[in-house]
Amino acid sequence: MNNSFPTIIYQKSGRVASIILNRPHVLNAHNIQMRDDLYQILEAVRDDTDVTCITLTGAGERSFCTGADLTEFGTAPSRIIARQVRWERDLWGLMLSINKPIIAGLHGYVLGSGMEMAMLCDIRIASHDAIFGMPEAALGMIPVAGGTQILPRTIGIGKTMSLLLTHKNISAQDAKDMGAVNEVVDRESLWHHVIKTAEQISSHDGLSLESIKVNVRNGLDSPILEALNAEYNTALNMIMARTLYLPV
Amino acid sequence: MIYNNKDYKSLHIQVNDGVGFIAFNQPDNENKINLSMANDIRAICEEFNFSSEVNVVLITGTGKYFCGGDDENSVSPEISDQLRNEIYRMQNFRVAKSLLNIDKPVVCAINGDAIGHGLEIAMCSDIRLAVPNAKFSMPQIIHGSMPWDGGTQLLPRLIGRSNASELLMTGKTINSKKALSIGLIESVIPKPKLLTEAKTLANSISKLGPIATRYAKEAVLKGIDMTIEQGMRLEMDLNLLLQTTEDRAEGLSSFMDKRTPKFTGK
Repeated sequence: MNNSFPTIIYQKSGRVASIILNRPHVLNAHNIQMRDDLYQILEAVRDDTDVTCITLTGAGERSFCTGADLTEFGTAPSRIIARQVRWERDLWGLMLSINKPIIAGLHGYVLGSGMEMAMLCDIRIASHDAIFGMPEAALGMIPVAGGTQILPRTIGIGKTMSLLLTHKNISAQDAKDMGAVNEVVDRESLWHHVIKTAEQISSHDGLSLESIKVNVRNGLDSPILEALNAEYNTALNMIMARTLYLPV
Repeated sequence: MIYNNKDYKSLHIQVNDGVGFIAFNQPDNENKINLSMANDIRAICEEFNFSSEVNVVLITGTGKYFCGGDDENSVSPEISDQLRNEIYRMQNFRVAKSLLNIDKPVVCAINGDAIGHGLEIAMCSDIRLAVPNAKFSMPQIIHGSMPWDGGTQLLPRLIGRSNASELLMTGKTINSKKALSIGLIESVIPKPKLLTEAKTLANSISKLGPIATRYAKEAVLKGIDMTIEQGMRLEMDLNLLLQTTEDRAEGLSSFMDKRTPKFTGK
């Protein structure tokens, strides 16, 4: 299966769904159209029972994604409308709510909400040439795709502050050293690594994968005793459902 | 300069180019915290937090130590027993709340050992640089006590539970290299260059949008104690507030014109 959206290439092969950001002429900066396309695709992937693992990469030679397309900034009629639209169609919240593992393959520029998008994924594989950075404060703004929330939960407060407050771009190796990236590979073999990882993960039981992701993600925000109970109940539900052949 | 160093006997204070500089200035006493220093720290935190001249705060120590912890000999002589001494210090030496209440970015240049309460103070900052031979420890446990100015809360949030537990439960001393590897500090800088590098860093932050850096700090620090959904709402709301600022418009237009932005904090 291979579906083309105006700004995204969407492919399905076996149990892996691949999402490719496809505006290479603007370094894959996301505009309203791309956010609409992505929203539609993520909803479909979420509900597609054939899919157990997702990959997210960028088309073209130069960039995974450089964040929001600044030419569209300030086009909302008012802050009130902007806020309403943001929560009516909560793309980043939707991405976070996908319970299937998402593997990001990162090359070239991974900046601003491009980096945030990568952080909302579960496993990040970067090529040696990848450059990461959060330039928001230099533009008089702060991250808005969850960067101030997902970064400290992934790499800790100190490293987050130095990334957000200094406007210094960092290399793939630096990103790996600070825990923002799992693996650094050659550019030529990036896609190979991403798809191999996704295929390997997708060979596992889909329900187990989702249960693990949900518990890791939600558990971080819960008191430990509550989180232990949630984990126990998830596992118990899975076992009971399988024993009784119930749909979960 | 409106800041009068006479008001702060235990500190050296300076404001330059948007950076509010605080140096613990009792080197003969290892910059240990006594009543006058605790009072001074609380006062300068409040002053810098409200000052429109300050975008970024830089904390360091003069001499060989950053801060050697509490000065246990500084309490009044009529308090003779250890327990009363500690209660007195707990009631009078608390500074973490004042430091964490600074809503502007805080850079910490750790010029020497940061021990016990001294390390708690360092952890109240946002970005920490240290000299190669600095020592770090939480020795309270060795004396049958435990940290009371944020140590048990700040450590796990910064370096994770297992690293935090190791420091808190063994009281062991670690060096800068180890501190760097567990995320307790962000970089190691040779002593002659430490202050220059820290000032360069503070200056570079000070040149960014001051409201934006404040809000970024708020979103990270407050957000980590919320669920991620609540945190993302906070982030979005702060963003929309930012969009009403002159700095935000200046940031955008300077980017489009490919020039350096001039932020005014409005």
